[in-house]
Amino acid sequence: MRRAKAFSPTIILSYAVLLLGAFFVIYPFFYMINNSVKTGQEIMHSPTALPEKIVFTGYTGVFDELDVMLLFKNSVFLAGSITVLNTIFSALAAYAFAKIPFPGRDKIFGFMLLTMMIPGVLFLIPTYVLMYRIGWVGHFEALIVPSIVSVFNIFLIRQFMSGIPDELVEAARIDGAGEMVIFTRIILPLARPALATVAILTFMGSWNDFFGPLLYLNRPEQWTLQLGLLQFRGTVPGENAQQIWALTTIITVPIVVVYFFIQEQFVKAFANVSLSK
Amino acid sequence: MSAIAAEGQQSIASVSAKRHTTLLHRMRRNWWGYVFVSPWIILYIVFGIYPLILSFFLTFFNYSFVNPENRQFVGIGNWVRGIEDPLFWKAIFNIVLNQSVFIFLKNGLGLLIASLLFNIKFGGRLLRTIYFLPVITSTVVLMTIGDNLASPGGPIQKYLIDLHLLDGPFFWKSEETWPMIVIALINTWKWFGISTVILLAGMYSIDARLYEAAAVDGANGWQMFTYITLPTLKPQLFFLLVVDVINGLQMFGEVFSIGFNVYGGINNQALTPVLYLYAQAFDRSNVGFASTLGLLLAYIIAALTFLQFKFFRTNEN
Repeated sequence: MRRAKAFSPTIILSYAVLLLGAFFVIYPFFYMINNSVKTGQEIMHSPTALPEKIVFTGYTGVFDELDVMLLFKNSVFLAGSITVLNTIFSALAAYAFAKIPFPGRDKIFGFMLLTMMIPGVLFLIPTYVLMYRIGWVGHFEALIVPSIVSVFNIFLIRQFMSGIPDELVEAARIDGAGEMVIFTRIILPLARPALATVAILTFMGSWNDFFGPLLYLNRPEQWTLQLGLLQFRGTVPGENAQQIWALTTIITVPIVVVYFFIQEQFVKAFANVSLSK
Repeated sequence: MSAIAAEGQQSIASVSAKRHTTLLHRMRRNWWGYVFVSPWIILYIVFGIYPLILSFFLTFFNYSFVNPENRQFVGIGNWVRGIEDPLFWKAIFNIVLNQSVFIFLKNGLGLLIASLLFNIKFGGRLLRTIYFLPVITSTVVLMTIGDNLASPGGPIQKYLIDLHLLDGPFFWKSEETWPMIVIALINTWKWFGISTVILLAGMYSIDARLYEAAAVDGANGWQMFTYITLPTLKPQLFFLLVVDVINGLQMFGEVFSIGFNVYGGINNQALTPVLYLYAQAFDRSNVGFASTLGLLLAYIIAALTFLQFKFFRTNEN
């Protein structure tokens, strides 16, 4: 199968199907960006055509009607703080599970993995009740605090850290280094690829999340980009096609740029999840 | 005789004492381990275990967020109401339809693309990067694009009309079942990249000598695929299926962000269980009832997951 000749019919057919697939994946993105630089009239009458003249009225329109910078700032703040906190605390727990032989470790780890199977829908209502009682509804804490650490990330980092030789850690312990020192000086630098993976996945998840913010951030000055788009689409129907395409482009471009720089890590992260059981 | 027994007892006692001290000793020596995992443990008690208990407790009450003091005990009333509620079952029907289409297409397409990528030598990495693009894009954005492309008068329908496959504009959003199918198609576009990557990683882990041996025996490509590739990919396919069912049955944000209200449209044609739960909790303030719907759905998901594990085990032997 791997050994098929370079220009055999199978190979040519494979490329044909793969390229067609790539076209279908890219086209909607092209459609979005293409329409974001057209006039409203053009979008209506010929949505698939190239722009007769490139205009940026969609972009200026969005900035006029929405406080895009504020939305952007909120999105960055939320995704950024969750990513930093979660990476640090998940790495700490992962290190303990991988390298500190404390009694009960495997039982706790097994239990933790089991909790991943519980459907999230169960937590939706009671968590809201809890947040309401603590008074966190309408505050960023409601989204940040529960995301300080996550099972999935602990698991991913632990799998990686298990591959670091025990001797390294033990030698440091014999030399009298404390666990905190070993963690920051030895483990963290070595685990950088895993930390990067986890940070990327976490950032993407919270950047793209709209349901959490929808539930807990009810004042417009707290809205994220995703909420802005959702509300914007809801309030002004039809007329503002230009602005909608501009806003979707604004939301998508940062994450795509980040993705292209680090895509190898990114794709591997997903593949690893299923292979390491 | 008694001396031996006494000696035996003594040694057992000393062993258990020793074990006790070593356990304590090990706990004391590794106490940092507890410190490092404690953030997760504390958070899980507060935002995991406590909500789970609260959720179960709430099912026996009529409860509203605004004045929780006025809760009314209704016994198993919410459970009966949930099981008898035709809208809940309509939502279940909708989501099962949606996920059957989605899971089949997403993993089928993932399998096809992965096998083709496995075949080629050049450009595989670039293509994989491209297929992964929708995975990283936000649901709201993808649903906005998908909605526009598929809308009556949108490019896809125009094209189908030009090809005489469609008579006129098709208002699929107000039809029964169609919203679920269109959302499944958009979601396939979003997620097939994950299946591709996971299955491709599985294919690379297959011993190449198996294929060589099969080639010597005169097997063709299709035979190699069905007798070598597919059976070895069973763990990956199983993983995908279990995760897809757990996540998929909880789908609702897509319905919301493609422009339906929280009841899934006028005829509830796009209502899904979690959307219904959301509507009951946040639109009607029936928190106890919404909690019950959540638990009912969780039981259905648990039953399906259990069946998958069972089916996979029996297939294994």
